[in-house]
Amino acid sequence: MTVQVQRRPDGWLAAFTAMASPCEVLLDVDDRDEAASLGELAAAEAARIERHLSRYRDDNIIHAINHAAGRPVLVDDETAGLLDFADQCWRLSEGRFDVTSGVLRRVWRFDGSDRVPSRAAVKELLPLVGWDKVSWARPSLTLPVGMEIDLGGLGKEYAVDRAAQLVSMRTRAAVLVNFGGDLRALGARRDGRPWRVGVESPDAAAAALDLELAQGALATSGDARRFLLKNGVRYPHILNPRTGWPVLDAPRSVTVLADACTEAGLLATLAMLQGRMARGFLAEQGVKYWVLD
Amino acid sequence: MAATERKPGGLRLALAAACGVLGVAGAPAHATEVSTGALVYAEPGRVKAFELLADGTHEFASGNIGTFRLVFDALTGASANGAVPAKNAQTFTSPSGGSGYTTAAGETPLDTTFKDTRFAGSGGLTFPWGRLTKATVGAYGSFESDYTSLGINGALSRDLFQRNTTITVRGSHFADSVSPMGGAPVPFAEMPAPTPGEHDDKAALEDDGEGSSESKGVTDLGVGLTQVLTRRTLLALNYTGTNVTGYQTDPYKILSVVDGTTGDPVAGTGTPEMFRYESRPDKRSKHVAAAELIQNLGRDIMTLSYRWYEDDWGIKSRTTEVTYRLNFQPTRYVQPNLRWYHQGAADFYRRYLVQGQALPEFASADYRLGEMDAVSVGMKYGTKLKSGNDLTMRLEYYKQTGNHAPNDAIGNLRDLDLYPTVDAWIANVGLTFGKQ
Repeated sequence: MTVQVQRRPDGWLAAFTAMASPCEVLLDVDDRDEAASLGELAAAEAARIERHLSRYRDDNIIHAINHAAGRPVLVDDETAGLLDFADQCWRLSEGRFDVTSGVLRRVWRFDGSDRVPSRAAVKELLPLVGWDKVSWARPSLTLPVGMEIDLGGLGKEYAVDRAAQLVSMRTRAAVLVNFGGDLRALGARRDGRPWRVGVESPDAAAAALDLELAQGALATSGDARRFLLKNGVRYPHILNPRTGWPVLDAPRSVTVLADACTEAGLLATLAMLQGRMARGFLAEQGVKYWVLD
Repeated sequence: MAATERKPGGLRLALAAACGVLGVAGAPAHATEVSTGALVYAEPGRVKAFELLADGTHEFASGNIGTFRLVFDALTGASANGAVPAKNAQTFTSPSGGSGYTTAAGETPLDTTFKDTRFAGSGGLTFPWGRLTKATVGAYGSFESDYTSLGINGALSRDLFQRNTTITVRGSHFADSVSPMGGAPVPFAEMPAPTPGEHDDKAALEDDGEGSSESKGVTDLGVGLTQVLTRRTLLALNYTGTNVTGYQTDPYKILSVVDGTTGDPVAGTGTPEMFRYESRPDKRSKHVAAAELIQNLGRDIMTLSYRWYEDDWGIKSRTTEVTYRLNFQPTRYVQPNLRWYHQGAADFYRRYLVQGQALPEFASADYRLGEMDAVSVGMKYGTKLKSGNDLTMRLEYYKQTGNHAPNDAIGNLRDLDLYPTVDAWIANVGLTFGKQ
């Protein structure tokens, strides 16, 4: 993996690509070599998590789980932690957040076309969706035949948190970790100023979010480019795993400020799943948020 | 409707907790922390104080930090008025002038009418000032029935050498005003006999044109250096110079006037014993230097500190303290502490005045200005509650001893305790909560 290091007015920037996203680590240090080594640490962690959790590989735990053909699979501690977390999120969202919903992508391809699947096709897949059908007793996971799990909905935010923590263990300097717009800030810079954070709007017509952040994390859910359009109805890519259909009145994007990136990401996703109740849901959580309809 | 059945406020907490379990919990994005505490201070048979306090810190999204503190104190009980014990009972006039109180033979005279409440509040804001420098500004106000203190303060601190060194420069100024009950007495004036019917009349003790309100100005300037010595060792050095001008006499403290041979109290004008109000200089400059070493021992933390104090009243003191925080469980600790204090007397400290000798320029028999040794032993316990709040409890015992029988004591005073031991118990409970 290549990590590019550049001087920035506010420190050093280490840039690389991981998880199909441009990734950046901004460091308030003076020394280029220190910035490079911290950037490489973050890049290596992002790559490790990507390898570990990607459903596109055939050499990792996700592949082993998804191809176990009904047999139990013993998982490592990190995966177990993420499965426990996914289990909690499924409960807290009353089944709206479900790591088994990935099979619905077999019929839903949000490519901007009008290819909305038939009711029958969606219905046929529903028996393969539902965390409640999974048997999870740490460290043993058993999926019914034909079901799959996908931790991709947590992966990027988790990687931001992990990378930020790893870097902060090696330096007392302020750090901003930004993986494709999901980011976490650890401390104000030496001059006392917070990080200036810009979050690109999913909609080119809307203004980008521009804010100052000294401590905390920001995550965005929603991608305005991923939708289907048929008979004037817009089908966003947010799927309700209980019906197998998109949440039609979901906002185009939700950005949440929370303590950890994983937390911010989940709150943003859960808000999207609330459809037109997204704002009310976020307001009740007591977090700072930005919603784009 | 599922959406209305849920408890979303709790959802965020549950999610944050789950992030903690996953090992990715973050420091709060915007933290507000409030601590509250209650403290009881009791000198058996003497002063009792009860204090309530609330402290708050809010970290704004901009990185600025705001703080506030509110304190309420109530003091009651008796405190030594400065007079020496005598082989006979003695009668004193209370500060309001309206009534008197009596001390039994051989007992240390205590003013039993002592009672006051204090309310104090302060606030501050820390913000960046240019590159690498942080500035703090604050204000303070404290109000008692007979004492008001108003202050402002400011500090600049700068991190150097990759934040291994922090240098702080700070200053403050307080403007105090004292309105003693019964008016501010004239230095060395005789304590008059009680004047029944005129109680609480502030004019009772006033003497030819002396105002009943006095003022005092206190200016502090300090520098501090905090140095990270190793990854586990921190050294903090501080120096503060203080300049005080204005009224510094304690309007409620008196001195006995004794016979030069027998050591017994002499008769006053219209009173069986003569007592004179004390007198202190109206200028004082103080110097304090302190060193603190904090050593992280892996699980536990040990702190050693030494404080050196001198002023131009002739008082020199040294304080040594050691605390050991024993983190016996991840969320529980006990912290014993031990403190030793030695103080030399002020130049003008004297236990009494002798009749027939010329009055000195200044004199005070306030035991706090005398030579003394003090030891404190304390224990603090801290735990995290299920709610996530932090609870602390502390108990401390303090013992102060001085010279009971000075070599130069006169006559009958040789048989009396001229510097009684003071004991005090301090107990407090604190609760920190409100982390978002």
